Amino acid sequence: MTGEITPIGSIHVSPRAVARIAHQAALESYGVVGLAPKNLMNNLTNVLVKDPMQGVEVHYDGEIVIIDMYIVIEYGTRIKSVASSVANTVKYHVEKALGMPVTQVNVHVSGLRISNWD
Amino acid sequence: MNSESQQAYIKKRQARFRTAPIDGQALKSLIVAGLTWLRTNQEIVNSLNVYPVPDGDTGINMVLTMQAAYNEIAESPERNFGKMIHMVAHGALMGARGNSGVILSQIWRGLARGSDNIGVLDGPALAHAFCMARDTAYQGVVRPVEGTILTVAKDIAEKAHASLTETQDPIEILERVVLEAEQSVERTPELLDVLKKAGVVDAGGKGLFFILEGMLRYINGQSLDTPTASVQSLSKMSLDDTLETIEEGQDYEVVVDFRPHKPLNLQEFYSNLESIGTSIQVGEGEGLYRMHIHVETDKRYEPIDYTMSIGTITKVHIENLIEQMEQIERQANTPSVNIPPLEPGQIAVIAVSPGKGISQVFASLGVAGIVEGGQTMNPSTEDLLDAFEDLPTDKVILLPNNKNIIMAANNAAELTVKKVAVIPTRTIPQGLAAMFRLTPHGDLDAVAEEMNAALDDVDTAEITTAIRSVEIDGVNVKEGETIALFNGKLFTSAKSLEGACTALLEKLELDEYELITLFYGEEVSNHAANLIADGIRASHPMLEVEIQDGGQPHYQFIISFE
Repeated sequence: MTGEITPIGSIHVSPRAVARIAHQAALESYGVVGLAPKNLMNNLTNVLVKDPMQGVEVHYDGEIVIIDMYIVIEYGTRIKSVASSVANTVKYHVEKALGMPVTQVNVHVSGLRISNWD
Repeated sequence: MNSESQQAYIKKRQARFRTAPIDGQALKSLIVAGLTWLRTNQEIVNSLNVYPVPDGDTGINMVLTMQAAYNEIAESPERNFGKMIHMVAHGALMGARGNSGVILSQIWRGLARGSDNIGVLDGPALAHAFCMARDTAYQGVVRPVEGTILTVAKDIAEKAHASLTETQDPIEILERVVLEAEQSVERTPELLDVLKKAGVVDAGGKGLFFILEGMLRYINGQSLDTPTASVQSLSKMSLDDTLETIEEGQDYEVVVDFRPHKPLNLQEFYSNLESIGTSIQVGEGEGLYRMHIHVETDKRYEPIDYTMSIGTITKVHIENLIEQMEQIERQANTPSVNIPPLEPGQIAVIAVSPGKGISQVFASLGVAGIVEGGQTMNPSTEDLLDAFEDLPTDKVILLPNNKNIIMAANNAAELTVKKVAVIPTRTIPQGLAAMFRLTPHGDLDAVAEEMNAALDDVDTAEITTAIRSVEIDGVNVKEGETIALFNGKLFTSAKSLEGACTALLEKLELDEYELITLFYGEEVSNHAANLIADGIRASHPMLEVEIQDGGQPHYQFIISFE
């Protein structure tokens, strides 16, 4: 459901807007250092993207909202915990903003950033 | 104890701690202390968690992370501080749970990175480690949110660093750090609006504070098992479960209701009570306070005298906990299932059972004792010994009914003077099949052999829910799916309970069997079990299908094929 019909007209939320919210939420998640381009063929893997549409995919299908996140994680954190925390945070923030349920948040860990070796 | 003598006591404790170097083993004690104190105050941390719904249980997550850190070093004899703290960091990383756990693990990682080549901790090294912890923690996020555990890590690093101009003593630095952590936590609502709106402080920061404070309390010789001064509402004050926390020597429970003469200074009140006893709880409602404490026998009137000095007592309740405990144990030992008394000299069979319904079936077949336990709750060797040591016979047969319990059963057999045979039953149906071959007056070895032979008469299926996604034995399972195990091997999986039962039966050579018994677990209703049984009867008219209330946890069905 990208749009909603109200008595005075309709509301349409673009995937880009949703991607922006998801991007913001991801960047505030602990352990995430950035979004990665979803299509690695077009870019170098170590480039973090600025445009949320490049690191986030948003699919609408009727009532179903599916978000795919491509993230880079800080080396030394537990990837599983970080990824599930990103999924939860993104779901929470997008649902809060959109006022409708997000069906799926798929987190793809595209790479790690190494700030320090232990 | 007045505050002056308490101060003197703390100084003495600290002096004792200072004489020993803060090496790897001292760090281990400090980790235990931090973990224990955090766990004691876990509920306080959990209750702060009103903000971002995503991370719903900060207290538990931090405790589990610290527990993993401790597990990593529990057995280690390492004396080098730097090496030990690297192990702590590794454990914390591996066990990091939730957002707060991940940040906590980064803090440990930073502390470890700052402690390279530190054999024995001193003041400057500690300050350096806190600074590295701050830097490492901040590296993990693009947009750090202030007013969280990150801010607390930052504030204490700055405090530790600044303290170096005043002292080089690590314990004095830790004292300052703990104080700063407490104040920093109190400031979090000013930095983070959602905290302010909810009227709470940051949970992760509070958790970090408890870990550090626990270490200091350990050094100071203060108790780690009584939650910090906090008042609950009277209605919420639950004193039922305090029995679990009885410590040796704390024989009396004293509960005093009173109205204080003047507003209560909670910190002072608590610290005075701590000098009398343990398990302190304080509740308040409409100006009336209820104080709960466990004390030694000869101190049982002290809490009353003390309370009388600060208020008017309205009600006093004293109970002998040991007596109470014994009574509860007596009740617990009276089994809810009716087991007929054993004739002296008969073979006594002790069966491990995961559920009440299954216990009843065992009882009807003539066991002399039931020990509760199963897949997720393995009884100890001691539990098994207790079940038969007092029986009027020296011939005992143990049915562990789970492969994880066979070992404990064998140990029990070795530890007793009685003659014990362990029948290595791996499942409930095997245990029941063995019971059918019992001749209570026979020769123990012959009977055991006969019962052993019964194990091959029966096949067992278990239906449960997968708790994680795996691929074993060629079956691909997703978390949350219903899976069927056949004789302990993963056999098939399905989206629903019915689906798993159908898939299981389709894969089996059902011609071999005549009778199927379904023991349904506590999560399954009688109605649901009947529907499934009817389905099986309809599709397999040659089979006799029985259902039994098993009452076992986790397993929706335990199925016996005979």
